[in-house]
Amino acid sequence: MSSNAITLPGTQIQARPWVDELHQWLTTVDHKRLGILYILSALLFLAIGGVEALIIRIQLMHSHNNFVSPEVFNRMFTMHGTTMIFFVAMPVLFGFANYLVPLMIGARDMAFPRLNAFSFWLSFLGGLLLYFSFLGGSGLYGAGSAPDVGWWSYAPLGARAFSPGHSSDYWTLAVLVSGFGSIGTAINIIATILCLRCPGMKLNRMPLLVWMNLVMAGMVLFAVTPLSAAQIMLLIDRYLGGHFFDTQAGGSAVLWMHFFWIFGHPEVYILIIPCFAFMSEIIPVFSRKPIFGYPVMVAATVCIAFVSMSVWAHHMFTIGMNSYANSFFTLTTMAVGVPTGIKIFNWIGTMWGGRIQFKTPMLFSIGFLFQFLIAGLTGIMIAASPFDWQLSLSYFVVAHFHYVIVGGILFALFAAFYYWYPKMTGRMLSERLGKWHFWLFLIGFHLTFDVMHIPGILGMPRRIYTYEPGRGWDTLNLIITIGAFIQALAILVFLANLVISYFKGDRAGNDPWDAWTLEWSISSPPPAYNFATVPTVASRRPLWDLKHPEDPDSRYE
Amino acid sequence: MATILATEQLNETGQMPSVIEVPAPTAWPFILAFGTTLLFAGLVTSMSVSVLGAAFALAGCVGWFRAVFPHAQEEAVAVVPEDIRLTTDRRVVERIPVLPDQLRAWLPVRTYPVSAGVKGGIAGSVAMAVLACAYGVLKAGSIWYPINLLAAVVYRESLRLGPAQLYSFHADAFAIAFFLHGLVSIFVGLLYGAMLPMFPRRPVVLGGLIAPALWSGLLYTILGLLNPLLASHIDWFWFVASQVAFGIVAGLVVVRQQSIPTRENVSFVLRAGIEAPGTIPPRESGEERR
Repeated sequence: MSSNAITLPGTQIQARPWVDELHQWLTTVDHKRLGILYILSALLFLAIGGVEALIIRIQLMHSHNNFVSPEVFNRMFTMHGTTMIFFVAMPVLFGFANYLVPLMIGARDMAFPRLNAFSFWLSFLGGLLLYFSFLGGSGLYGAGSAPDVGWWSYAPLGARAFSPGHSSDYWTLAVLVSGFGSIGTAINIIATILCLRCPGMKLNRMPLLVWMNLVMAGMVLFAVTPLSAAQIMLLIDRYLGGHFFDTQAGGSAVLWMHFFWIFGHPEVYILIIPCFAFMSEIIPVFSRKPIFGYPVMVAATVCIAFVSMSVWAHHMFTIGMNSYANSFFTLTTMAVGVPTGIKIFNWIGTMWGGRIQFKTPMLFSIGFLFQFLIAGLTGIMIAASPFDWQLSLSYFVVAHFHYVIVGGILFALFAAFYYWYPKMTGRMLSERLGKWHFWLFLIGFHLTFDVMHIPGILGMPRRIYTYEPGRGWDTLNLIITIGAFIQALAILVFLANLVISYFKGDRAGNDPWDAWTLEWSISSPPPAYNFATVPTVASRRPLWDLKHPEDPDSRYE
Repeated sequence: MATILATEQLNETGQMPSVIEVPAPTAWPFILAFGTTLLFAGLVTSMSVSVLGAAFALAGCVGWFRAVFPHAQEEAVAVVPEDIRLTTDRRVVERIPVLPDQLRAWLPVRTYPVSAGVKGGIAGSVAMAVLACAYGVLKAGSIWYPINLLAAVVYRESLRLGPAQLYSFHADAFAIAFFLHGLVSIFVGLLYGAMLPMFPRRPVVLGGLIAPALWSGLLYTILGLLNPLLASHIDWFWFVASQVAFGIVAGLVVVRQQSIPTRENVSFVLRAGIEAPGTIPPRESGEERR
């Protein structure tokens, strides 16, 4: 343990009445509070989306099950996908970016604090609007129903002729509103990083987390805007009689697919790049070594961002594109594996020869490395168009992208929670509960998503409501469902850990991990102004320089 | 926009400010967001909801405008004096012995230029192509046979070729196979150029035997999925032999290139070969750069 923050006598802050506290949270423009609000809202929607996943899994637990009706089942997988991508994954990553980026670059807040608050509230209220559809899907005076046409809302299924009432409109409007929030946050992150770095923090001295969030924010601008445009076009189709996606009137259903996936695939990298950022901060600290190949890591991130913009149509191999398009998107998709492989190589290079400490953040990080590698390999498999023709829209694809999102993104997020929770709250998360959380989640994850590949190969289509017995799917689906419940149990342990540790956790001090970036130089939780005096940095590891004045990094950079 | 006090320093023992101005809390962004959401929600509920949303949004815009013009509202926060000690218990630093005269070094100390990887990849691709074509002539009776099989990795038309057509020339399959083979070979050559310096003891064993064996093993398991046509016609002895030929030739070409010091930590100006006074500023401490 390196150091402790000691609040001097006579400076204790008086507790406020809860109404005042609530008012403070509603009106805050502080990036740390908004970051926490993002994270809390994501946890709320994670719980909701998780319950929807469990309903899906109970329904598929055995053949000829009718735990829910087909209509409710359709709503569940639509709401689960939409919630997890737009109202869990993006907000929680924005939350960490909001909280950490200004602290890591020595700034006192984001560049546009009020825009930051506006963006958060748009994102959150977009989520509430989506869930209001359960009450008002057919209008205030009709029977409600939630969106049920899948999280892609493929044309022409999203057209009014095939999706009457307002359920699809709720999906469109909620995603549109939250998309505006995402764009606002992305602009804010870019402006903050480019304009508010402390003295001495050149671009090549920025922590990798900051670099990767800069790249992520740039990608958001390029990826979310086409989706917002498509949502507006869909609204015009549904409300004003437009024909953008109406094939009967000269429109194009494939156009919707292009619009959706030119957002959808970069979105995967928008979500995973901040997770790369977490890994690039956590693995060095728990390996007690600097990151291996900093410039290559930055270059690989930028490379991934560029290449990922040219792979979207690999989601569309089965629609009947010509051979040249298939070949192009196969090649580009495989090419994105190269910079990604470089990153995995560099994280392993960082661990090689290090004094690895198997604390909970590191356990989740190692889980991430292994699982993301597997997810990448199955991604390469379905990048080959002949392979994709066999397994597109099967549970193999569902297993693949859950390997990315749960095995990759969620594991990295858990690592980040355990690593930065002490900074956010001033309390350590329980290591004992953390290890229970890790092992339960690891077992549940592999039971669910390793096994899920097999029914996919055996021909089980995604989004299927139920199935005939005797196809060899029953036992596999039962195992998958058991795994899902083990994961749910692990999440409960995690949530309990968050709550219990907030009240009874060990005091964290300012730098519990003996780390090297600027956020650990101030008290936990940080004061409203972050830094009483704005720091000056001379290397990529400013706290190493302060702790080892006899051999600072600045001598070599 | 939030501002920073650029004159303050972390390490200086000078006066700490007693108050710091930060952006003042405001409800207007929340009200604007709420109004915007209601504006859209009215489309699926009732026009009156949209009207209410528009009113909220207008109020939010006006309030926000007044909060930032002519000057952004800020509030003064008292600085809480703290005793932050940035120390570590890990005083001993273990070092991997690399160079006797240096405490630190970028690993690998020496590496190969990018051109070495490209040359290695091209040379390896020629060796591999020679063996593959030899296989085509000797075992299948047509030099075009392995080329048509290779194109099927990404090219759907090749999958449709009948048994007789596999032995004849197809310009499109040839172009795709040529491009694919060249591209992948150069990529692998670049990987060799980057990785061989990190495994300096037996580079040809790694490049010529271990890497081809791993790659062939991986392909053995998934080739049926990646390229069903190639999987149904493949001769594994010749396939592995061509992989080994690539690895040995590429490895030998790479390691015979002139290695250069790793320059990862050198500025772009220096790496670009720009020689002009003042391009490399001295350290603030006056210490010599290493």
